[in-house]
Amino acid sequence: MANPDLGQRDLQAAATSHRGDRIFNRVVTGAAFTALLVLAGIAVFLGIQVIPAFQSQGLSFLTSTGWDINTDPPTAGIFGMLYGSLLIAGIGLVIGTPVALLLSIFLVFIAPPRVSRILTNFIDLMAAIPSVILGLWAFYILNSQAQVWQELLNQYLGWIPIFQNDSGNFQGTPFIAGFVLAIMMIPIVTSVTREVLGRTPPELINASEALGCSMWTMLRYVALPYGRGGIVGGIMLGLGRALGETVAVFFVLKIVFDTNWYHVIESGGGSVATLIVSRFGEVSGAFELNLLLAAGFFLFLGTLIVNVIANLIVTRTGRLQK
Amino acid sequence: MTTHTEVFDESRLVELREQLPIRPWRSKPRRFTWSVIIASLAPAVFVGLLYVFADIPGALLLVAVYLPVQIFASGLAAYVTRGTRGIADSVIIVNAIGATVFTGIILASLLGSLIIRGWAALSAHFIFQNNVYINPSTPLEYGGIGHAILGTFLIVLISAVIAVPIGIATAVYITEVRGRAVPYVRFFVQAMSGVPSVVAGLFILTTLVVTGALSQSALAGGLAYAILMLPTVARTAEEVLKLVPEELRTGALALGSTRSRTVFRVVLPAAKTGIITAIILGIARVIGETAPLLLAAGNADQTVVNPTGSPISSIPTYIFNNVALPYPDAVTRAWGAALVLIVLVAVLFTLARVIGARKPGR
Repeated sequence: MANPDLGQRDLQAAATSHRGDRIFNRVVTGAAFTALLVLAGIAVFLGIQVIPAFQSQGLSFLTSTGWDINTDPPTAGIFGMLYGSLLIAGIGLVIGTPVALLLSIFLVFIAPPRVSRILTNFIDLMAAIPSVILGLWAFYILNSQAQVWQELLNQYLGWIPIFQNDSGNFQGTPFIAGFVLAIMMIPIVTSVTREVLGRTPPELINASEALGCSMWTMLRYVALPYGRGGIVGGIMLGLGRALGETVAVFFVLKIVFDTNWYHVIESGGGSVATLIVSRFGEVSGAFELNLLLAAGFFLFLGTLIVNVIANLIVTRTGRLQK
Repeated sequence: MTTHTEVFDESRLVELREQLPIRPWRSKPRRFTWSVIIASLAPAVFVGLLYVFADIPGALLLVAVYLPVQIFASGLAAYVTRGTRGIADSVIIVNAIGATVFTGIILASLLGSLIIRGWAALSAHFIFQNNVYINPSTPLEYGGIGHAILGTFLIVLISAVIAVPIGIATAVYITEVRGRAVPYVRFFVQAMSGVPSVVAGLFILTTLVVTGALSQSALAGGLAYAILMLPTVARTAEEVLKLVPEELRTGALALGSTRSRTVFRVVLPAAKTGIITAIILGIARVIGETAPLLLAAGNADQTVVNPTGSPISSIPTYIFNNVALPYPDAVTRAWGAALVLIVLVAVLFTLARVIGARKPGR
């Protein structure tokens, strides 16, 4: 990439002058568009499933909450699931983002380089832990701990509406699901923010030190503004992963077809991805399968939008910083 | 800067250059170290005494007592040594260390519970036997995950055979062919990396399984995995191919090599270790994915080697099916399978690190 302009023109000329190269060129170009083909395929094949779902349910498929397939006429609405996905991802963000940010500040500015390198390896390993293992751990280890925390939250902060719990049942709450998502997001967000903060030019840091800034002032006025775009993008990448997470949430969230608006430590919530897996096992027929596929389409649409925005932000800041 | 350098003599300039990497915010006076030690010990002792002598729940004590006391003590220490400016610093340092410890505890709990609980299930027959004639209540002396390990290998192999050539070709398009569509291809690959795994499974389910083209099988599961693997391979391979020196390409072309021969004989061999890293990272990305296999590959108790035709089990789906069963032995099997899976992932990552650490172009 030393001389991209010159390179591109010459390579193009070389590529079209030889018959074998023309074939090679076409094959490689075709392969490069597989990503587009798959995305378009997902959009089309899941998109057409939305039509029969809307024909039977109308817009209430998106705006109502319920799943009564065996009644006549059957009713189904995924609003509670869509909202629930956002709610638990939001809880995950609230818990995970400060931890990830502080963790990357520790890795970049506070920890000795050797400690930082070892911790980074562990965080990469954490990012690689399969979600089914996270679910297994959350079901048996985290769950009992989370019961205690939730009871304490309810006991001392129960006067705040979001910490109300009238049933006394602290199992399968959005809080636990959000906590599991936070654990998933922490390594993803940390790896992006760590890189962004690490790219802060040492001149700027030294200059702020020379002006008498404390570390907090340096972070507040130099490092964080410098990496703001990348940090926001990293958080959104984590959000995209959290919205699509299926199996880890499956074990800790009790799916109820009743919109749980803000009672985060009350049993029961929703998640589109988990709905698909939990209903698929006992799917009653082509009609219900169609509804699940339609729900999958909206999940795809939501995560696609979040990811595209996140990637645009990360790519743009990456370019600005270079 | 450069206009003033003549003022200094040469040796001074060298000295200044060597000073640059020194980070002034790291140097701390001795009084600072002592106050840090006192400020970190005192709250711990205080809260430890409270824990022993007062009847306050541990979680509450940590969050509502220890953290504020620790922040206050550190703030005080910072005020004594560095004045008001130090307070904000001490708050952020305490919180940063707190966040690190929090993450460390979670990771330690995860890995620790996997090893402790999974170890009980591990044995030679657990690795090699299959799940036929095994009920959830069958004791641990019988049965194993051999069929699931084989299934995972088969499915990952199929997905690698599909996704690796396409992924590398995508990277070659971006770095070697450099057509007009490069920014778009990059954009689509990035967008594809965000596809949720359950959606990949649904896509294969609705296009191939529901239409009857394929039954739930290793091939269907492998295709779903390939959707997830492709972006990882393509992006990593792109990074690696970018590192191949431009001189190698122009040199090969100048010697009369065709474009395709340059790629196959010069560029890809030069980036060989990096390409292998890309493949390993792609495999590590998918090997633990559960949702696509639940939808596309199904489940089986017997050992399956036929890649089409019949449902097949895999390690993640095996764990999934055993987690919530009310039988302790079934749950122990799930922990054992999880330990096997995490060891596989860790081995793959270490391999990628070791191979990736070698320099490209050798």
